[in-house]
Formats: sequence, structure tokens, C-alpha cells
Amino acid sequence: MKTVLINCSPKKRFCASAYFLFLQSLFVGGEKVNENLRTPADHARILEKLRDAQTVVFGLPLYVDGVPSHVLRFLEEMETFCRENGLKPRVYCIANNGFIEGYQNEPLMQVFENFCVRAELAWGGGVGIGGGVMLNVTRILFAVEILLLVLNTVLSAAHTGDFFPKETWLSFAENTGLLLYFNLGVLFYLSGMGRAIGKGTAFGKKYTRILIPSFVFILFADVFFTIISLLQGGVFRGWLARKE
Amino acid sequence: MKVVLYDLSPEYGALIESKCDRALAADGKYAPCQGCFGCWTKHPAECFLKDKLKQVCRLIGRADELVIVTKNLYGTYSAAVKNILDRSIATSTPFSTYRGRQMHHTLRYGKHDLWKVVVYGEASEAEKATFRCMAERNAVNDGYERSEVIFLKDLAELEAAL
Repeated sequence: MKTVLINCSPKKRFCASAYFLFLQSLFVGGEKVNENLRTPADHARILEKLRDAQTVVFGLPLYVDGVPSHVLRFLEEMETFCRENGLKPRVYCIANNGFIEGYQNEPLMQVFENFCVRAELAWGGGVGIGGGVMLNVTRILFAVEILLLVLNTVLSAAHTGDFFPKETWLSFAENTGLLLYFNLGVLFYLSGMGRAIGKGTAFGKKYTRILIPSFVFILFADVFFTIISLLQGGVFRGWLARKE
Repeated sequence: MKVVLYDLSPEYGALIESKCDRALAADGKYAPCQGCFGCWTKHPAECFLKDKLKQVCRLIGRADELVIVTKNLYGTYSAAVKNILDRSIATSTPFSTYRGRQMHHTLRYGKHDLWKVVVYGEASEAEKATFRCMAERNAVNDGYERSEVIFLKDLAELEAAL
């Protein structure tokens, strides 16, 4: 079985869509092909990969409550290509948005469902994820935790000869456990969709989010954008003003 | 101010311009959003891409009534129209708030009146339902008091729909 995973984020680095597609690939067997869809120059290459694929998984961000325009252009071409070549891959979708509510992805999911009807493809369903950007940050924090663990272990071994400093390892377990908890909803649904992909069955539309309270999320999001805006200078250029 | 976005051919331009304060043709001669958030965090209300949508949020943000004339594409806007909407997110600010019991961004230009979508081209019942859902969500997200979706059987009905 061949599955093509298409990262539809226009960003070249560090995009949430790539993170969720990576997690999804952990639960999918058989041949897996990863593709990036950023510009029309990518269309022909990706469409060729669909010739012998049984499954296509789109990973994309929510833009203005819907599918980003560059993905709409691809879907139009994919509809024509699949019709002309008699291709029938089953279509799944992983959508993520910056707001905390995963169900804000509902219109996007409906568009994919309508696309499948028009293109006469089987709609496999999808997972809509809230707090995608913040979940993406957890992978950086996980890497930092590993780095700290290694560093503290080396220092401990050098000074005391102890390769398993208890406090360091307990702290690592506690912090990574918390990061894992934030991702539990996503992991649960992506593992379910992975099983559906393996069986070639419909998964339906499921919505989940980063597992923290909404008001805490908003606080973190505001702090995040304030820091970024300070660093990039937007704060000093009429940050919140009504620009004429 | 009444603003109309439309993806129809230039022959409809005169009719549309006579029915609004500002009209913007979705001719596809611009680049898609790169998702950098620079229009929030670096150069507020301005895109780093140097094309005709560089400051489009300043036009859309000042609309009391926004009318979007679009061809149906799977129950959503045509790619050319959606491109404009994607490039206009700086009508809001990066700060978050609750509207309609959901998280949204605060509005750079305050509240608006009507988000109207005029759809042409054949549409299934499912696609019509998606369009209504989409327009409703867009209206809440962008701070519009109400939304309306009109499905044209024929482009001859366009003038009345505007």
C-alpha cells in the first residue's frame, strides 16, 4: 500500500502541518511518500506520485476558515488529473488552526468532502486540530529537554561519577510527560486515523486540541505574539493601529 | 463603505463599480499568502509581498459591507478570491479574544455590518450548506454583524443580488 502525505503549508521550515504529518506517518504502514505543496511548480511532481497511490493525506493550516488558496488550485488540478487517469486514491486530511478550538476546521473539512464528491474519490475523513502552532512548539521543548538531560547527566558523571542523577531524570520524566499530555488528543485521533488508512476505511471527522484550558492558551498566544512583534519591530510601527 | 471583491471577467467591472464604493477584481495577478504573520508582527497591516494586495487589508478592513462575488468551488470561494481573503488577515490584530464563545483575533478596524457572498456556477446542496457555514464563520471571525449567501441561477441576476 502506498500513501502520499502532502504537506500543504507554504512555510519552508518549522510548520505545524509537517509535525502532524510526521506523527501520522508513525501510525501508517506500507510505502510512504512525503511531498511539499507550496507553489504551482510542485503540482506535476505530486500528481505523478498519485498514479500508484491508494491513499493521500493532506496536512494543511486553516486560512480564513477554509482551505488556503494555493491548495484550492491544486485540488482543481487533482480533480482533472484523477478523472483523466482513472485514479481513485482515498483522501484523508489533517487540518490545524491557531485558535484553540479544533472544530473551527469544520468548513475546511466540508470543502474536502465536497472535493471528493466532485472528483469521485473516496473521502476518508480527517482530524481537525486546535492550537496547532503551540503543539508544534512542544517538539522544540522536547528537544530542549533531551539536551538538558544529556548535559546534566554528563556533568553529574564528570563530577560525582553518577550516570543517573535522580533529580535530573525525574525532572525530564515530569516535563516530557507534560508535553506528551498536551499532545494526547492529537495522538489518539491520528492513531485511529492511521488504522483506518491501513484498512482503507472511512474515519469520519474528528476534532481535538492542545489539552490546556482556553484562557491559559490565549494568555500564552498573546505573550508569544508580543515577543515576536517586539523582536520583529511591529510594536514600533503602529502595531494595533487602524492603518489608512 | 461598500466593497466588492469579484472574480468575474472585466466585462462585469462597470456594473459592479456602479454598485459599490470600491471594487477589487480577483484577477489572480498576485501571490498567495506565505503564512509568515509579518502583517501582524513586522509591518502591521502590510504584506511583504510587493503586488497589488500589499495593503489590501486596509481596504477590506474599512468596509461596512463586504460583497464577495465568486464562482463555486467545492462549496468555497474560487482560488483567486480566497487568495485575496488569505492576504487580508491583518484586518485583525495578533491579539486574541472571545467572539461567539470561540477564540478569535481582536479587530483592527472595529465591527462591520454585512458579509455577503454571491455565488455563481452550479452548486450541490452540500456545497450550498458549506458556503453558508463558511460565510457564517467568516462573519464571526472578521467581526461582521450578519452574513448572507445568495446563489445565482444565472449571471443575469447579478445586478439585483448586488
